[in-house]
Amino acid sequence: MKLTPTFLALVLLLAPAVCGGQDSDSETEARIVALDIAGAFSNDGYKIRDGHWSGAVKPKEKAQVMLVNLYAGNQYYFSLGTDKEVKMALAVYDETGKKVSGDLYRDGGRTAAGVTATASGPYYVSVRLMEGEAASFCLLYSYK
Amino acid sequence: MMLSRRLALAALAAISPALAPAAGPTPSPAPAAVVMPAAAAPDTDVLSKTDMAAATETDSMSIPTPGELFAALGKQMKPNWASQFRGSINTSLASRAQIALNLGGLIADGYVAVEAMDSSQVKNVGRDILILGKSLGISKEIIERGQSITNFAEANEWNTLKEELEATQNEVKSAMSKLRDEDLVTLISLGGWIRGTAVVCGIIGEGFSDASASLIRQPAVVGHLRRKIATLSPKVRDDVLIQSVDRQLAEIEKLVSFPLGTAPSKEDVKKLKDSATALVVEIGKKS
Repeated sequence: MKLTPTFLALVLLLAPAVCGGQDSDSETEARIVALDIAGAFSNDGYKIRDGHWSGAVKPKEKAQVMLVNLYAGNQYYFSLGTDKEVKMALAVYDETGKKVSGDLYRDGGRTAAGVTATASGPYYVSVRLMEGEAASFCLLYSYK
Repeated sequence: MMLSRRLALAALAAISPALAPAAGPTPSPAPAAVVMPAAAAPDTDVLSKTDMAAATETDSMSIPTPGELFAALGKQMKPNWASQFRGSINTSLASRAQIALNLGGLIADGYVAVEAMDSSQVKNVGRDILILGKSLGISKEIIERGQSITNFAEANEWNTLKEELEATQNEVKSAMSKLRDEDLVTLISLGGWIRGTAVVCGIIGEGFSDASASLIRQPAVVGHLRRKIATLSPKVRDDVLIQSVDRQLAEIEKLVSFPLGTAPSKEDVKKLKDSATALVVEIGKKS
Protein backbone atom coordinates (compact mmCIF):
# COMPACT_ATOMS: atom_id res chain seq x y z
CA MET A 1 0.00 0.00 0.00
CA LYS A 2 1.61 3.30 -1.09
CA LEU A 3 0.54 6.83 -0.33
CA THR A 4 -0.40 8.47 -3.62
CA PRO A 5 -0.04 12.26 -4.06
CA THR A 6 -3.84 12.61 -4.19
CA PHE A 7 -4.22 10.59 -1.00
CA LEU A 8 -1.61 12.70 0.76
CA ALA A 9 -3.16 15.93 -0.44
CA LEU A 10 -6.58 14.98 0.92
CA VAL A 11 -5.14 13.71 4.15
CA LEU A 12 -3.20 16.92 4.69
CA LEU A 13 -6.34 18.92 3.94
CA LEU A 14 -8.13 16.97 6.64
CA ALA A 15 -5.20 16.96 9.02
CA PRO A 16 -6.66 19.41 11.56
CA ALA A 17 -9.69 17.17 11.95
CA VAL A 18 -7.58 14.07 12.28
CA CYS A 19 -4.90 15.51 14.51
CA GLY A 20 -6.71 18.15 16.51
CA GLY A 21 -4.65 20.85 14.84
CA GLN A 22 -1.94 20.60 17.48
CA ASP A 23 0.83 18.67 15.74
CA SER A 24 3.69 19.83 13.57
CA ASP A 25 3.68 18.97 9.87
CA SER A 26 6.08 16.06 10.40
CA GLU A 27 3.98 14.69 13.25
CA THR A 28 0.90 15.04 11.08
CA GLU A 29 2.64 13.05 8.38
CA ALA A 30 3.60 10.37 10.90
CA ARG A 31 0.00 10.24 12.11
CA ILE A 32 -1.27 9.79 8.58
CA VAL A 33 1.03 6.80 8.20
CA ALA A 34 -0.07 5.38 11.58
CA LEU A 35 -3.73 5.78 10.63
CA ASP A 36 -3.05 4.12 7.32
CA ILE A 37 -1.52 1.09 9.06
CA ALA A 38 -4.34 0.93 11.63
CA GLY A 39 -6.90 1.21 8.84
CA ALA A 40 -5.68 -2.10 7.47
CA PHE A 41 -6.49 -3.78 10.78
CA SER A 42 -9.96 -2.19 10.78
CA ASN A 43 -10.74 -4.53 7.92
CA ASP A 44 -10.28 -7.36 10.39
CA GLY A 45 -12.70 -5.91 12.94
CA TYR A 46 -10.27 -3.83 14.99
CA LYS A 47 -11.61 -0.49 16.24
CA ILE A 48 -9.16 2.39 16.15
CA ARG A 49 -8.88 4.14 19.50
CA ASP A 50 -9.44 7.88 19.01
CA GLY A 51 -6.20 8.98 20.63
CA HIS A 52 -2.54 9.05 19.74
CA TRP A 53 0.97 9.66 21.02
CA SER A 54 3.28 11.80 18.93
CA GLY A 55 6.94 12.60 19.41
CA ALA A 56 10.40 12.54 17.91
CA VAL A 57 13.12 9.89 17.88
CA LYS A 58 16.85 10.37 17.37
CA PRO A 59 19.69 7.96 16.63
CA LYS A 60 21.25 6.24 19.66
CA GLU A 61 18.51 7.59 21.90
CA LYS A 62 17.01 5.23 24.50
CA ALA A 63 13.50 3.88 24.04
CA GLN A 64 10.49 6.03 24.87
CA VAL A 65 7.74 4.28 26.79
CA MET A 66 3.97 4.82 27.02
CA LEU A 67 1.74 3.28 29.70
CA VAL A 68 -1.50 1.74 28.45
CA ASN A 69 -4.16 -0.25 30.29
CA LEU A 70 -5.39 -3.35 28.49
CA TYR A 71 -8.13 -5.86 29.21
CA ALA A 72 -7.74 -9.63 29.33
CA GLY A 73 -9.12 -11.32 26.24
CA ASN A 74 -8.97 -8.26 24.02
CA GLN A 75 -6.64 -8.28 21.01
CA TYR A 76 -4.66 -5.14 20.32
CA TYR A 77 -2.62 -3.72 17.45
CA PHE A 78 -0.21 -0.86 18.08
CA SER A 79 0.47 1.03 14.87
CA LEU A 80 3.59 3.15 14.65
CA GLY A 81 4.08 5.58 11.78
CA THR A 82 7.05 7.81 11.06
CA ASP A 83 7.50 10.70 8.66
CA LYS A 84 10.67 9.15 7.22
CA GLU A 85 11.72 5.72 6.00
CA VAL A 86 13.45 4.62 9.18
CA LYS A 87 13.60 1.31 11.04
CA MET A 88 11.82 1.43 14.38
CA ALA A 89 11.74 -0.97 17.30
CA LEU A 90 8.27 -1.41 18.75
CA ALA A 91 7.61 -3.71 21.69
CA VAL A 92 4.91 -4.34 24.29
CA TYR A 93 5.78 -5.34 27.87
CA ASP A 94 3.57 -6.56 30.69
CA GLU A 95 3.55 -5.01 34.15
CA THR A 96 6.45 -7.22 35.28
CA GLY A 97 8.57 -5.80 32.48
CA LYS A 98 8.52 -8.98 30.40
CA LYS A 99 8.09 -8.61 26.65
CA VAL A 100 4.72 -9.84 25.41
CA SER A 101 5.06 -12.08 22.40
CA GLY A 102 2.89 -11.46 19.40
CA ASP A 103 3.29 -10.37 15.79
CA LEU A 104 5.48 -7.62 14.46
CA TYR A 105 4.90 -6.05 11.05
CA ARG A 106 7.52 -3.80 9.53
CA ASP A 107 7.61 -2.04 6.18
CA GLY A 108 9.84 1.00 5.91
CA GLY A 109 8.49 3.69 8.22
CA ARG A 110 5.50 1.52 9.11
CA THR A 111 5.59 -0.78 12.10
CA ALA A 112 2.84 -2.57 13.98
CA ALA A 113 2.80 -4.95 16.93
CA GLY A 114 -0.13 -7.22 17.67
CA VAL A 115 -0.70 -8.75 21.10
CA THR A 116 -3.47 -10.43 23.04
CA ALA A 117 -3.78 -9.31 26.65
CA THR A 118 -3.77 -12.34 28.94
CA ALA A 119 -4.34 -10.29 32.09
CA SER A 120 -6.08 -6.98 32.73
CA GLY A 121 -3.84 -4.19 33.92
CA PRO A 122 -0.99 -1.91 32.88
CA TYR A 123 1.23 -2.64 29.89
CA TYR A 124 4.10 -0.64 28.45
CA VAL A 125 4.71 0.15 24.78
CA SER A 126 8.24 1.10 23.88
CA VAL A 127 9.38 2.84 20.68
CA ARG A 128 12.96 3.37 19.60
CA LEU A 129 14.83 4.34 16.45
CA MET A 130 16.95 1.40 15.27
CA GLU A 131 18.27 2.65 11.93
CA GLY A 132 18.03 5.95 10.10
CA GLU A 133 17.99 9.65 10.81
CA ALA A 134 15.95 11.58 13.37
CA ALA A 135 12.22 11.36 12.67
CA SER A 136 8.79 12.17 14.02
CA PHE A 137 6.62 9.28 15.11
CA CYS A 138 2.99 8.67 15.94
CA LEU A 139 1.64 5.67 17.85
CA LEU A 140 -2.00 4.69 18.09
CA TYR A 141 -3.80 1.50 18.89
CA SER A 142 -6.76 -0.59 17.81
CA TYR A 143 -8.64 -3.29 19.69
CA LYS A 144 -11.20 -6.00 19.21
CA MET B 1 -12.30 23.08 10.32
CA MET B 2 -15.17 21.22 11.93
CA LEU B 3 -14.82 17.98 10.01
CA SER B 4 -15.11 15.10 12.41
CA ARG B 5 -12.53 12.34 12.76
CA ARG B 6 -15.10 9.94 11.43
CA LEU B 7 -15.72 12.04 8.36
CA ALA B 8 -12.00 12.36 7.88
CA LEU B 9 -11.57 8.61 8.11
CA ALA B 10 -14.49 8.06 5.75
CA ALA B 11 -12.91 10.38 3.23
CA LEU B 12 -9.60 8.59 3.58
CA ALA B 13 -11.35 5.24 3.25
CA ALA B 14 -12.77 6.30 -0.07
CA ILE B 15 -9.26 6.63 -1.40
CA SER B 16 -7.32 4.01 0.48
CA PRO B 17 -8.61 0.44 0.42
CA ALA B 18 -6.67 -0.12 3.62
CA LEU B 19 -9.02 2.24 5.43
CA ALA B 20 -12.23 0.69 4.16
CA PRO B 21 -14.85 -0.10 6.82
CA ALA B 22 -14.90 -3.49 8.51
CA ALA B 23 -18.01 -4.65 6.64
CA GLY B 24 -17.65 -6.53 3.40
CA PRO B 25 -14.96 -8.92 2.22
CA THR B 26 -12.07 -9.11 4.62
CA PRO B 27 -8.70 -8.63 2.99
CA SER B 28 -5.45 -9.48 4.69
CA PRO B 29 -5.41 -7.68 8.05
CA ALA B 30 -1.84 -6.55 7.70
CA PRO B 31 -0.19 -4.28 5.17
CA ALA B 32 2.34 -5.97 2.90
CA ALA B 33 5.25 -6.20 5.26
CA VAL B 34 7.83 -8.37 6.85
CA VAL B 35 6.13 -10.52 9.48
CA MET B 36 8.12 -11.95 12.34
CA PRO B 37 7.42 -12.99 15.88
CA ALA B 38 7.84 -9.96 18.14
CA ALA B 39 10.04 -11.99 20.43
CA ALA B 40 12.60 -12.27 17.63
CA ALA B 41 12.73 -8.53 17.07
CA PRO B 42 16.06 -6.93 17.91
CA ASP B 43 14.96 -5.20 21.07
CA THR B 44 15.37 -5.72 24.78
CA ASP B 45 13.31 -8.56 26.27
CA VAL B 46 12.90 -6.94 29.64
CA LEU B 47 11.87 -3.42 30.53
CA SER B 48 13.52 -2.05 33.64
CA LYS B 49 11.55 -0.79 36.63
CA THR B 50 13.10 2.63 36.02
CA ASP B 51 11.75 2.70 32.48
CA MET B 52 8.32 1.59 33.67
CA ALA B 53 8.24 4.25 36.38
CA ALA B 54 9.24 6.93 33.88
CA ALA B 55 6.65 5.88 31.27
CA THR B 56 4.54 8.61 29.72
CA GLU B 57 0.85 8.63 30.68
CA THR B 58 -1.85 10.51 28.80
CA ASP B 59 -5.63 10.42 29.02
CA SER B 60 -5.98 9.60 25.35
CA MET B 61 -3.65 6.57 25.49
CA SER B 62 -3.55 5.42 29.11
CA ILE B 63 -7.21 5.62 30.13
CA PRO B 64 -9.20 2.92 28.33
CA THR B 65 -12.55 3.87 26.85
CA PRO B 66 -15.72 2.21 28.14
CA GLY B 67 -15.89 0.59 24.70
CA GLU B 68 -12.65 -1.34 25.34
CA LEU B 69 -13.86 -2.59 28.70
CA PHE B 70 -17.27 -3.52 27.31
CA ALA B 71 -15.63 -5.39 24.40
CA ALA B 72 -13.61 -7.48 26.87
CA LEU B 73 -16.69 -8.14 28.99
CA GLY B 74 -18.64 -9.27 25.93
CA LYS B 75 -16.04 -12.00 25.36
CA GLN B 76 -16.55 -13.46 28.85
CA MET B 77 -20.34 -13.46 28.99
CA LYS B 78 -23.50 -12.31 27.28
CA PRO B 79 -24.23 -9.11 29.16
CA ASN B 80 -27.74 -7.82 29.70
CA TRP B 81 -26.83 -4.21 29.01
CA ALA B 82 -30.40 -2.94 29.38
CA SER B 83 -30.34 -4.02 33.03
CA GLN B 84 -27.86 -1.22 33.64
CA PHE B 85 -29.94 1.62 32.21
CA ARG B 86 -30.72 4.39 34.64
CA GLY B 87 -33.38 7.06 34.45
CA SER B 88 -32.84 10.64 33.42
CA ILE B 89 -30.29 12.31 35.66
CA ASN B 90 -30.56 15.61 37.49
CA THR B 91 -29.37 18.21 34.98
CA SER B 92 -29.95 21.29 37.20
CA LEU B 93 -26.42 21.53 38.50
CA ALA B 94 -24.62 24.74 39.41
CA SER B 95 -20.98 23.69 39.73
CA ARG B 96 -19.01 23.23 36.50
CA ALA B 97 -16.96 20.51 38.18
CA GLN B 98 -20.10 18.57 39.07
CA ILE B 99 -21.51 19.06 35.56
CA ALA B 100 -18.29 17.69 34.03
CA LEU B 101 -18.37 14.59 36.26
CA ASN B 102 -21.97 13.93 35.25
CA LEU B 103 -21.22 14.55 31.60
CA GLY B 104 -18.55 11.84 31.73
CA GLY B 105 -21.05 9.49 33.35
CA LEU B 106 -23.62 10.21 30.66
CA ILE B 107 -21.12 9.40 27.92
CA ALA B 108 -20.59 6.03 29.62
CA ASP B 109 -24.39 5.63 29.62
CA GLY B 110 -24.26 6.28 25.89
CA TYR B 111 -21.89 3.31 25.44
CA VAL B 112 -24.27 1.13 27.47
CA ALA B 113 -27.24 2.19 25.32
CA VAL B 114 -25.27 1.41 22.17
CA GLU B 115 -24.21 -2.00 23.49
CA ALA B 116 -27.89 -2.68 24.25
CA MET B 117 -28.76 -1.48 20.73
CA ASP B 118 -31.57 0.62 22.15
CA SER B 119 -32.14 3.67 19.97
CA SER B 120 -34.65 5.27 22.40
CA GLN B 121 -32.14 5.09 25.22
CA VAL B 122 -29.41 6.48 22.96
CA LYS B 123 -31.63 9.48 22.22
CA ASN B 124 -32.56 9.97 25.89
CA VAL B 125 -28.92 9.96 26.92
CA GLY B 126 -28.04 12.23 24.00
CA ARG B 127 -30.66 14.73 25.16
CA ASP B 128 -29.17 14.87 28.67
CA ILE B 129 -25.65 15.18 27.27
CA LEU B 130 -26.80 18.18 25.24
CA ILE B 131 -28.34 19.85 28.30
CA LEU B 132 -25.14 19.46 30.32
CA GLY B 133 -23.02 20.49 27.34
CA LYS B 134 -25.02 23.71 27.08
CA SER B 135 -24.38 24.38 30.76
CA LEU B 136 -20.64 24.15 30.06
CA GLY B 137 -20.87 26.34 26.96
CA ILE B 138 -19.94 23.62 24.47
CA SER B 139 -23.34 22.92 22.97
CA LYS B 140 -22.30 23.77 19.40
CA GLU B 141 -19.88 20.83 19.24
CA ILE B 142 -22.34 18.49 20.93
CA ILE B 143 -25.32 19.51 18.79
CA GLU B 144 -23.35 18.60 15.66
CA ARG B 145 -22.40 15.25 17.15
CA GLY B 146 -25.83 14.69 18.68
CA GLN B 147 -27.56 14.89 15.34
CA SER B 148 -25.32 12.28 13.77
CA ILE B 149 -25.67 10.04 16.84
CA THR B 150 -29.44 10.22 16.52
CA ASN B 151 -29.25 9.44 12.81
CA PHE B 152 -26.98 6.43 13.36
CA ALA B 153 -29.24 5.15 16.16
CA GLU B 154 -32.31 5.40 13.91
CA ALA B 155 -30.43 3.54 11.17
CA ASN B 156 -29.23 0.87 13.66
CA GLU B 157 -25.60 1.53 12.73
CA TRP B 158 -24.28 0.39 16.08
CA ASN B 159 -20.62 -0.08 15.18
CA THR B 160 -20.47 3.41 13.72
CA LEU B 161 -22.19 4.73 16.83
CA LYS B 162 -19.44 3.34 19.05
CA GLU B 163 -16.86 5.31 17.08
CA GLU B 164 -19.09 8.37 17.14
CA LEU B 165 -19.41 8.20 20.92
CA GLU B 166 -15.68 8.01 21.39
CA ALA B 167 -15.26 10.92 19.01
CA THR B 168 -17.92 12.84 20.96
CA GLN B 169 -16.06 12.29 24.19
CA ASN B 170 -12.83 13.52 22.61
CA GLU B 171 -14.56 16.48 21.00
CA VAL B 172 -16.07 17.53 24.32
CA LYS B 173 -12.63 17.27 25.94
CA SER B 174 -11.06 19.17 23.05
CA ALA B 175 -13.68 21.92 23.43
CA MET B 176 -12.89 22.15 27.14
CA SER B 177 -9.16 22.37 26.35
CA LYS B 178 -9.84 25.22 23.94
CA LEU B 179 -11.68 26.99 26.76
CA ARG B 180 -8.53 26.40 28.86
CA ASP B 181 -10.55 24.23 31.20
CA GLU B 182 -8.20 21.26 31.52
CA ASP B 183 -9.61 20.52 34.96
CA LEU B 184 -12.93 19.65 33.42
CA VAL B 185 -11.26 17.32 30.90
CA THR B 186 -9.95 15.30 33.85
CA LEU B 187 -13.35 15.31 35.53
CA ILE B 188 -15.12 14.07 32.39
CA SER B 189 -12.70 11.10 32.25
CA LEU B 190 -13.20 10.50 35.96
CA GLY B 191 -17.00 10.61 35.78
CA GLY B 192 -16.99 8.24 32.82
CA TRP B 193 -14.71 5.75 34.56
CA ILE B 194 -16.78 5.71 37.76
CA ARG B 195 -20.07 5.15 35.93
CA GLY B 196 -18.49 2.55 33.63
CA THR B 197 -17.15 0.68 36.65
CA ALA B 198 -20.57 0.64 38.32
CA VAL B 199 -22.12 -0.75 35.12
CA VAL B 200 -19.47 -3.44 34.59
CA CYS B 201 -19.63 -4.61 38.22
CA GLY B 202 -23.42 -4.80 37.94
CA ILE B 203 -23.16 -7.00 34.87
CA ILE B 204 -20.39 -9.21 36.30
CA GLY B 205 -22.55 -9.74 39.38
CA GLU B 206 -25.37 -11.05 37.19
CA GLY B 207 -23.24 -13.87 35.74
CA PHE B 208 -20.19 -14.11 37.94
CA SER B 209 -17.07 -15.93 36.77
CA ASP B 210 -13.41 -15.54 37.70
CA ALA B 211 -12.59 -14.51 34.13
CA SER B 212 -15.16 -11.72 34.00
CA ALA B 213 -14.33 -10.56 37.54
CA SER B 214 -10.63 -10.26 36.69
CA LEU B 215 -11.53 -7.45 34.28
CA ILE B 216 -12.00 -5.05 37.19
CA ARG B 217 -8.27 -5.16 37.86
CA GLN B 218 -7.24 -1.62 36.91
CA PRO B 219 -4.79 -0.30 39.51
CA ALA B 220 -2.91 1.95 37.10
CA VAL B 221 -6.11 3.60 35.85
CA VAL B 222 -7.22 4.67 39.32
CA GLY B 223 -3.66 5.70 40.17
CA HIS B 224 -3.57 7.88 37.05
CA LEU B 225 -6.94 9.47 37.85
CA ARG B 226 -5.90 10.22 41.42
CA ARG B 227 -2.66 11.83 40.25
CA LYS B 228 -4.72 13.97 37.87
CA ILE B 229 -6.99 15.04 40.72
CA ALA B 230 -3.88 16.12 42.63
CA THR B 231 -2.98 18.45 39.76
CA LEU B 232 -6.39 20.15 39.55
CA SER B 233 -6.46 23.87 40.26
CA PRO B 234 -6.87 24.57 44.00
CA LYS B 235 -10.38 25.95 43.47
CA VAL B 236 -11.59 22.72 41.89
CA ARG B 237 -9.50 20.41 44.07
CA ASP B 238 -10.91 22.02 47.23
CA ASP B 239 -14.51 21.57 46.09
CA VAL B 240 -16.30 19.45 48.70
CA LEU B 241 -17.55 17.00 46.07
CA ILE B 242 -14.12 16.54 44.48
CA GLN B 243 -12.54 15.95 47.88
CA SER B 244 -15.16 13.35 48.64
CA VAL B 245 -14.64 11.67 45.26
CA ASP B 246 -10.88 11.57 45.85
CA ARG B 247 -11.33 10.01 49.29
CA GLN B 248 -13.62 7.32 47.91
CA LEU B 249 -11.31 6.67 44.98
CA ALA B 250 -8.61 5.79 47.49
CA GLU B 251 -10.89 3.01 48.74
CA ILE B 252 -11.83 1.97 45.21
CA GLU B 253 -8.14 1.81 44.28
CA LYS B 254 -7.66 -0.93 46.87
CA LEU B 255 -10.57 -2.93 45.42
CA VAL B 256 -9.16 -2.88 41.86
CA SER B 257 -5.53 -3.53 42.89
CA PHE B 258 -5.57 -7.26 43.61
CA PRO B 259 -2.46 -9.28 42.64
CA LEU B 260 -1.77 -10.32 39.07
CA GLY B 261 -3.09 -13.80 38.29
CA THR B 262 -5.80 -13.73 40.94
CA ALA B 263 -9.51 -12.95 40.66
CA PRO B 264 -11.71 -11.08 43.11
CA SER B 265 -14.60 -12.85 44.81
CA LYS B 266 -18.24 -12.14 44.04
CA GLU B 267 -18.39 -10.20 47.31
CA ASP B 268 -15.41 -8.07 46.25
CA VAL B 269 -17.13 -7.24 42.97
CA LYS B 270 -20.32 -6.32 44.84
CA LYS B 271 -18.32 -4.12 47.19
CA LEU B 272 -16.82 -2.30 44.20
CA LYS B 273 -20.23 -1.98 42.55
CA ASP B 274 -21.73 -0.53 45.72
CA SER B 275 -18.85 1.95 46.10
CA ALA B 276 -18.97 3.07 42.48
CA THR B 277 -22.78 3.29 42.47
CA ALA B 278 -22.79 5.35 45.68
CA LEU B 279 -20.28 7.67 44.08
CA VAL B 280 -22.43 8.01 40.94
CA VAL B 281 -25.40 8.94 43.17
CA GLU B 282 -23.34 11.47 45.11
CA ILE B 283 -22.02 13.02 41.91
CA GLY B 284 -25.59 13.41 40.63
CA LYS B 285 -27.05 14.97 43.79
CA LYS B 286 -28.38 18.50 43.46
CA SER B 287 -25.80 20.85 44.99
